[in-house]
Amino acid sequence: MYADRFGTLKGISRVQTGAMTTCPECGAGLTLHDSIEVGEIVDCSTCGTELEVVEENPPVLDLAPELDEDWGE
Amino acid sequence: MKVGLLYSRIRTDEKLLLEELRSRGHEVKKIDVRDQQFGLSGSSVDAAELDIVVDRCVATSRSMYVTEFFDSYGVPIVNPPDVASTCSDKVKTSLALEEAGIPTPDTRVAFTREAALDAIKDFGYPVVLKPVVGSWGRLMARIEDDHAAEAILEHKETLGHYEHKIFYIQEFVDKPGRDLRVLSLDGDPVAGMIRSADHWITNAHRGAETRVLDINEEIEDLVRRASDAVGGGLLGVDLMETDDGYTIHEINHTVEYKALADVVDVDIVGEVVDWLEVKATASDNGAAKMAL
Ligand SMILES: Nc1ncnc2c1ncn2[C@@H]1O[C@H](COP(=O)(O)OP(=O)(O)O)[C@@H](O)[C@H]1O
Ligand SMILES: [Mg+2]
Ligand SMILES: [Zn+2]
Repeated sequence: MYADRFGTLKGISRVQTGAMTTCPECGAGLTLHDSIEVGEIVDCSTCGTELEVVEENPPVLDLAPELDEDWGE
Repeated sequence: MKVGLLYSRIRTDEKLLLEELRSRGHEVKKIDVRDQQFGLSGSSVDAAELDIVVDRCVATSRSMYVTEFFDSYGVPIVNPPDVASTCSDKVKTSLALEEAGIPTPDTRVAFTREAALDAIKDFGYPVVLKPVVGSWGRLMARIEDDHAAEAILEHKETLGHYEHKIFYIQEFVDKPGRDLRVLSLDGDPVAGMIRSADHWITNAHRGAETRVLDINEEIEDLVRRASDAVGGGLLGVDLMETDDGYTIHEINHTVEYKALADVVDVDIVGEVVDWLEVKATASDNGAAKMAL
């Protein structure tokens, strides 16, 4: 592992592969894919709730905000 | 370069962008706008350390203001606030297109139910009613008769906030079951797709079928002019086909490109980052010159 001149860490994956956590809504165990990113939304495979990744390592999930009327592209 | 990415939700689009930036060795500062405060001469984000800021806010209202702030702090922002202001508002977009002589669906705006109903009857049915700020095909109405028109106007006036009392009424374009999306960088078309659906609303976000669009000269010319008309930048230009050529109904300033990237061979995100690199360098040079 080294940091290049931009300070980017090379040689490590940003998050452990298949990190485990639990759904804050239903408590079921959840395996996350290996490149989760803070701000990303994942669905709980047990209860279907949309969850927001609020911390990466170790992963922490929170309920995702509801869609707002001004959302879009 | 050091890139600030403004967001409140990381979609696949942002992930692709982050991946490309990081793989090229650029430093990325993810800025969750929900955690920030923006002051008149500075914010909780150290703007001075950023070479360029990319606005990927999914909330249009936030996008409009964060772009104003970073522009005011003197950091190059994609897209700039004037572009966000025009593109986020369908009235301003329609006017900008019309002023530039670009074909766009005939549109009228009215402020009361009565005036709106008159405009609707003038257009005849079907007619389209859209929110002035909105996306992903939401809250749009295709109105087929007086009864529906009266009901929708009453609902909007009674249940909606003030923005829904700005009635944006548009001719219905009898398009061939599809519309077109072109992604452009300061007017240069990068790639395009055809979005087809049985429904009259053909947004990819609503599950329209997508395939590659062959960008002909006419489309290229219109996209360039449309981009110029709203101030350029990284844009998603939406076109419909009519019997006498194309008409542009919308330009998106925080354009999603995942669906497009899935259907075209062009390395969309690579092109976007190439373009960002040039923008950031240009601004560096500008700053260096000013310092002399
Ligand atoms: N005037 C119109 N006539 C027919 N179809 C339209 C018209 N305006 C929009 N549409 C359809 O609805 C979709 C969404 O409209 P658009 O103006 O782009 O709003 P949004 O910002 O929600 O994407 C378009 O992609 C097109 O398929
Ligand atoms: Mg659109
Ligand atoms: Zn759950």
